[in-house]
Amino acid sequence: MSYQNPKIPEGINVTDEHPLKDFFSMLLGVGLLAALFFLALSFIAEKLVVYIPFETEVVLAERMTEGMSESPDEDSDPHQLRVESYLQTLADQLAITQQLPENMPITVHFVKSDTVNAHATLGGHIIIYSGLLEKMPDENTLAMVMAHEIAHIKNRDPIIALGRVLTVSLAMLSILGAGDSGFSDQLVSRIGQLTMLSFSRKQESLADELALETLTEHYGHTGGAETLFSIFEDEERITMPAFLRTHPVTESRLNNVKEFSAKQAVAQSHENRPIPDWVVEDCAPANETDVKETDEKKSAPEKIK
Amino acid sequence: MAYLDLILFVTLLTLGYVVGQWLEKKHFRSIMEREERYRKLLTFNERFPPKGLKSVNVELVGGNVVISIDYFKRIAAGLRGLIGGRVTAYETLVERARREAILRMKESAHNKGASMIINVRLETASIAKGQKQQIGSVEVYAYGTAIIPG
Repeated sequence: MSYQNPKIPEGINVTDEHPLKDFFSMLLGVGLLAALFFLALSFIAEKLVVYIPFETEVVLAERMTEGMSESPDEDSDPHQLRVESYLQTLADQLAITQQLPENMPITVHFVKSDTVNAHATLGGHIIIYSGLLEKMPDENTLAMVMAHEIAHIKNRDPIIALGRVLTVSLAMLSILGAGDSGFSDQLVSRIGQLTMLSFSRKQESLADELALETLTEHYGHTGGAETLFSIFEDEERITMPAFLRTHPVTESRLNNVKEFSAKQAVAQSHENRPIPDWVVEDCAPANETDVKETDEKKSAPEKIK
Repeated sequence: MAYLDLILFVTLLTLGYVVGQWLEKKHFRSIMEREERYRKLLTFNERFPPKGLKSVNVELVGGNVVISIDYFKRIAAGLRGLIGGRVTAYETLVERARREAILRMKESAHNKGASMIINVRLETASIAKGQKQQIGSVEVYAYGTAIIPG
């Protein structure tokens, strides 16, 4: 027996395959499977989450907004309170017109901020920013915003959005957590933020539709709706590109309004009800520096624009 | 903030890939070159020396190496961990560690004037550290009995 060490050829334990090819094929495969899985999961979540009673949602909202309440000086500001009560009255009237169930109370919050926006969140809370109110030419336009937000609440959109986000993030955590790498944390935070983009376009369209019906029933015509979307169109020119928005592009919303008005065959000659002068005065930028970041980041916000 | 995270992630991934691949290629070149240099020093896993050896000294020799994964390998292996299969990202790592450990053992034996190493054994250990053990290293220890012609 002769002892020798022959030269061992290369490539027995190491493949020649390019590491990037391997990496991207895995990424594609995993990505596709994950996308399918999470789509299915969020679909199921959306279907099931509506069975959570509204009362539970209210409790949930209280727990989430704990410690995030507005500062006391804002609460005690008489102007603020007057505007808020005006908005509340309008919301209550529209809620009745929209036949909102008895157990779904709407709470309107008026927040001083330059943001031209309004959103509906969990527990029937609607937040209207002074930036938006300042831009409203009449009550009908404001009612369109309000009716849109109330429609979201009627359709349970905030809790559906929350259910989707929570389910997807939790599933991500449990799946990737098992793979014990910091990778999971990074992915979860990233996907979580993406899905946080609130309501789907379908939800927005439905809310628009319901709002238009409400407006017709309440005022007898859809005046104000068109004005609202032309205001948004102006605003949009200085904001982000269309693909980042969840709302149907304003132009198509404007067309929807026109179509709706034509279908209803309502007289287009109408008079819009003005917003009371004192509201206009009260929401004037008296203390514009009083913008609170925390208010803008309230849970699962819904953007009207 | 999400974009910042993403940019950081992609940068680390690219950096891990470029630097990791460069170092790996360099290491493999060095391994092949040194293996050729010490080819005359034979290594066997036989427990007993070949018959017919007269008046030799024997001594324990060993070589130890620890090699860490890079960011790219970690992510690639993480993906592989989801679907299963050959973790090629780690295979090269272990291959490098094994060959390097044997080479270090050979170098040590060579310095003692050995003609061969018998009863060669390999031990491995994995070293993981960091939060969630995200930084993994592999340790390979090679040892054997050097036959030094006296």
